[in-house]
Amino acid sequence: MLCPLLAAGAASSADLNEAWLAIANSHPKDALRKLDESDPARAVQLARAVALMAQQSATDDNVRAAEKIFVELATGNDEPADEAAYLQARLYQLHYVQPDYAKAAELYQALAQRHPRSHWAQLGLVKLALLKLYVVPDTTAAGSDRLAPAEALLAQISDPLLQRDLNLQIGQAGVALKQPLARFLPHLVAADRVGGITATAREDLIVQIGVLSMRAGDWAQAKKYFERYLVEFPNNVRAYDVKLNLDDAIRHLAKRAGS
Amino acid sequence: MSVKRHRRRIGVVVLGLAYALAVWWVFTRSTPLIQQRPVTIRFAHWQIERGPPDGIAAAIKRYEELNPRVHVEQLLIPGATVYPQWMRSNLAGGTGPDLMEWGSWLAGQRDIPARYFTPLTAELAKPNPYNKGTSQEGIPWEKTFHDNLLVPRRDSPEPGQIYAVTISEATVRLFCNIKLLQQCTGSTAAPTSFDDLRKIIARIEDYARRTRQPIHALAGSGDNGLWIAESLFSAPLMGVSRSIDDKGYLYTYNRDVLAAYLEGRWSYGSPAVSAGLRLVREVTGAMKPGFLQLHRDDAMLEFFRGEAVFIYTGTWDATSLRRMAPFTVVPMRLPNVLPSDPEVGRYIIGIGGEGQGETSVAMYLNRYSEHKAEALDFLKFLTSVPGNQLFTDASLWLPSVNGVKLPEEIKDFRNYQLGHSFGQAPYDIIGSEVNGEWKRHFYQLVGEQGSVKQFATALDEVMPVAIRTDLQNEMRNTLLLVKPQDALIVANAEMATATPTDGHYRERQLEMEAGQTMSEGLALQMKLVLDTTTIGKR
Repeated sequence: MLCPLLAAGAASSADLNEAWLAIANSHPKDALRKLDESDPARAVQLARAVALMAQQSATDDNVRAAEKIFVELATGNDEPADEAAYLQARLYQLHYVQPDYAKAAELYQALAQRHPRSHWAQLGLVKLALLKLYVVPDTTAAGSDRLAPAEALLAQISDPLLQRDLNLQIGQAGVALKQPLARFLPHLVAADRVGGITATAREDLIVQIGVLSMRAGDWAQAKKYFERYLVEFPNNVRAYDVKLNLDDAIRHLAKRAGS
Repeated sequence: MSVKRHRRRIGVVVLGLAYALAVWWVFTRSTPLIQQRPVTIRFAHWQIERGPPDGIAAAIKRYEELNPRVHVEQLLIPGATVYPQWMRSNLAGGTGPDLMEWGSWLAGQRDIPARYFTPLTAELAKPNPYNKGTSQEGIPWEKTFHDNLLVPRRDSPEPGQIYAVTISEATVRLFCNIKLLQQCTGSTAAPTSFDDLRKIIARIEDYARRTRQPIHALAGSGDNGLWIAESLFSAPLMGVSRSIDDKGYLYTYNRDVLAAYLEGRWSYGSPAVSAGLRLVREVTGAMKPGFLQLHRDDAMLEFFRGEAVFIYTGTWDATSLRRMAPFTVVPMRLPNVLPSDPEVGRYIIGIGGEGQGETSVAMYLNRYSEHKAEALDFLKFLTSVPGNQLFTDASLWLPSVNGVKLPEEIKDFRNYQLGHSFGQAPYDIIGSEVNGEWKRHFYQLVGEQGSVKQFATALDEVMPVAIRTDLQNEMRNTLLLVKPQDALIVANAEMATATPTDGHYRERQLEMEAGQTMSEGLALQMKLVLDTTTIGKR
């Protein structure tokens, strides 16, 4: 009696994995073919909604169909509920032809209140902070300090990698929003300390901390980062200027030591 | 009766011939009549100059010996006119090759990596297995490249990801017909500064006038004109780029230069930018009239006919020049414009640098390839010490990988100038709209009817809209990648939970989350500039 049921269950789980794999390989149509629309399992419905939002070409109809499923799933109290709530916010921020940043911000906030420790809620806080930095500034909270609302959200994030990502973004926003150097340079240093930043972003960050430290008069920190750059990227076109800046930093430190 | 016997004889002869043909095929051909290798990967590029196809074929031959399951097909697609359309239509139609070359300067193709290619970052962090027993054994793949993959990192659609590996290295040189230089100027000394070159050009023009010979200092064509223009135009721009480097990168990305224009921080009429235009006008004046209408092959022919003393081109043409020129060709560096230059020196902050060489011919892995593992494996072989050595020896193009021995003929190309380098590109190629307007109006700079003022004025009339459009496109291209990642992140998270022993999916999820946030931040910074500036708004 049990055998056919077990077999059905195993096949369904295998199909689900195949569907997720198809989505991970950017083949959402294949995923939809593997999933039974009438299957009420929450995991299956989540995969269906994700496949719908990933359809090419993207249309508001597909996004709406995905949202309908996300809304239903988000009422639960499990991992798919948090994933669905996070993705619903993403739809309003990025996927609808006409974004609704305020609505997205509201949904990220609601998820963080409901399940603050969930990975998806924490990732949502990073996205919310970006919105607050650039498109829905919180003007009531901290006057003209554009970084403060994002810093308040940073305090709610416990995942070190997500803290790193938000620190990096607050640092970059500090430059873009022309904030005082002392307000954002420590965020860049904090992001670097966690490590794991790769490719150009890594190279840019090391030079950037060196140069901004120099501009802030922190010659010792500038020297440290310039030296690190020259060890990691000795052949890069920037190495010549980094070397000149390093010489400058060493001169200033020697002068200070002399006086 | 005799007809029957005759027919039988014909049958026996035909059978005998067929048998003989089969025996001949078996003993003289290495490949079977029907392809028996189960996997075929296609490798497409536009380097159809003399050299690279031979180099890649040599590497393929060895790879196929090592991997009997795999056949690698090299597709040579002409670059300038055919490749972009060919690439887009094949990728869109789902028939794109497994591995393909791409460059950020291909007009209108900036969105391709985000749409169709897959990042190699995680693979690049591991050693290349084909480097076993070489000087690069155990070193992460990324660190085995001469420049640590500077160009693929710079051109990546995501700041935290690397999407390509390079197989060669290129630079530009002033190739000289040394005998003709001696004949025109009485000396074979290479110019040591731009002012020195200026004087040599004047002497060559004087010689041509006196002897009534059709000799020009520089072989001319639209392509060669633009290459030398870009090199010289960059010299005074270094100071401008430094002044707009708010981020402290000691480097300006195209998006930063576009944004600074919209913020009114530079224009084509700015004194330093105009100084660059002046250098471009000066040097293109040393090419024959009408050069803009000609192509690089025409310039090569002019040089081969002994009608031009120098040709300014990339080391990608070096093998052709060496094999085809009926005279001795000596490569020289284009001399620097120095702060002591009598004409534009006050805008020059120092010597311009070439770094330690940038590797090139960037190869990308098609996201939709059915043989990703095999294609990646071939890339690893081609960019290993033994694979890249085969490429270098057969092509006489510089290798991209450390530990490859340089053939004698190309040793000089690694003699790079150290100096400042402040930007991703000179201000004529910071975007495809910008480049289109530059080319459309270039005639207003050169020749007897042209002038710097006229060109700068024309550009500052059309560029505001072009620059705003290019920044909008940069933002859209960044978002192109961000959007689909939402589904990919969740799918990788689900796969990580379903297969807890396979760390690959969790690694990919976290890598994508970090990259996506960085790209979103960049897009929002561009949006901020577009929303808060008015230059170029219609």
